[in-house]
Amino acid sequence: MRWIIDYQTGVPVYLQLMQQVKSAVATGAMRAGDQLPSVRAMAEELRVNRNTVARAWAELETEGVIANRQGLGCFVTEKVTPLRKAVRNERLALALDQVIVQAHHLQVSDDTLRALLDERITHFHHVRKAQGD
Amino acid sequence: MAPVISLTDLRIRYGSKDAVNGLSLQVEAGRCHALLGRNGAGKTSAMRALLGLLRPDQGAVRLFGLDPAKHEAEVKSRLAWVPDSPSFYPWMSVREALAYAASTRTGWRKDIEEHLCSRFTLDLDAPTSGLSKGEKTQLALTCAVSADPELLVLDEPTTGLDPLVRRQFLEAVIGTFQDRQPEKKTIFVSTHLISEFEGIIDDFTVLAGGRAVLSADADGARQRFCRLRGWFDETVPPQAAIPSVLSTKRDGRLLELVVDSGADETRAWLQGAGASRIETTALSLEEIFVCAA
Repeated sequence: MRWIIDYQTGVPVYLQLMQQVKSAVATGAMRAGDQLPSVRAMAEELRVNRNTVARAWAELETEGVIANRQGLGCFVTEKVTPLRKAVRNERLALALDQVIVQAHHLQVSDDTLRALLDERITHFHHVRKAQGD
Repeated sequence: MAPVISLTDLRIRYGSKDAVNGLSLQVEAGRCHALLGRNGAGKTSAMRALLGLLRPDQGAVRLFGLDPAKHEAEVKSRLAWVPDSPSFYPWMSVREALAYAASTRTGWRKDIEEHLCSRFTLDLDAPTSGLSKGEKTQLALTCAVSADPELLVLDEPTTGLDPLVRRQFLEAVIGTFQDRQPEKKTIFVSTHLISEFEGIIDDFTVLAGGRAVLSADADGARQRFCRLRGWFDETVPPQAAIPSVLSTKRDGRLLELVVDSGADETRAWLQGAGASRIETTALSLEEIFVCAA
């Protein structure tokens, strides 16, 4: 797995790391039981602060994406989110708002946006399937 | 808990010239704080006052909540520093220099010393007088980190080193110094090579003319300072009066604006002025430094 930090996006580094783990899980590049690099290894490789990596891993644990097994490291969990449905929907709504704002600025119509969303969902299905083969 | 470093209204004069003119800053435990500034901005003077190598004309220095003038031994036992050009007694070998450094500290970590020596491939029998600048810096870092201090002070540590040595230096700081109890391991670094340290800097202070002109956390600053680029089909409009715009550049049908906060209002203005495409990117710490210093 290739990790990339981009300082030009303005997105805090720990969020970028969280995002990369989440999309790896969503596309099937990482699966339940897979081990994440240790905080130290990750920090050294990316030359970022250890606290930054530790924070990303801790937040992923809170969200139930990974679990920390004492002394062994962090592992991707089975898909069980500890968050209530209302909270989940709220978080997703926030993320979608960003997309809608972007679409507005890029002058993409609502219909095109809906079609694009369908297309991306299908794309992720394909990638997951390909990873499974 | 008291901040690890606290400088209050620090003033340092050389004759009639103010090198540091009312500098205040605080560094909390576990943070990496960078002191950025052009040559002559007052970085080294501030650093020397912090280390007790120079007495400020005015203001207070507190380390771990203590006055270093009154608690010199305790303060010094809890910090270690790597100067920009480390020097060793020239008659000593690397092994002797390490043993000498170890003899001055309690809590010396022999395991860290061995780990870093093999990582840096330092020849223990070599005389320190024959070491290259890169090797001297590696030895100085080994001495500093093996002492297992709470505070690591780095004064322009990687200036003049080749890229590979700079990379190893940073990996050793992250992997070894911060290895145990990273929440207690504080770093205070002055550097010109900002992009290299970008990932480990939590907070920074930009010094200019002996004063702090910008003090911020790195994530917050990258969200605050943006570059907006608007492309126009026809003519580029005249400059708008948006107070947050720091600089403007025109290039054909492209208008490029650097803003401090106010990215949203600037984007709205570009849209209103008829931009057909708008792109926003965050500034790197180095670019922020150039804007501020």
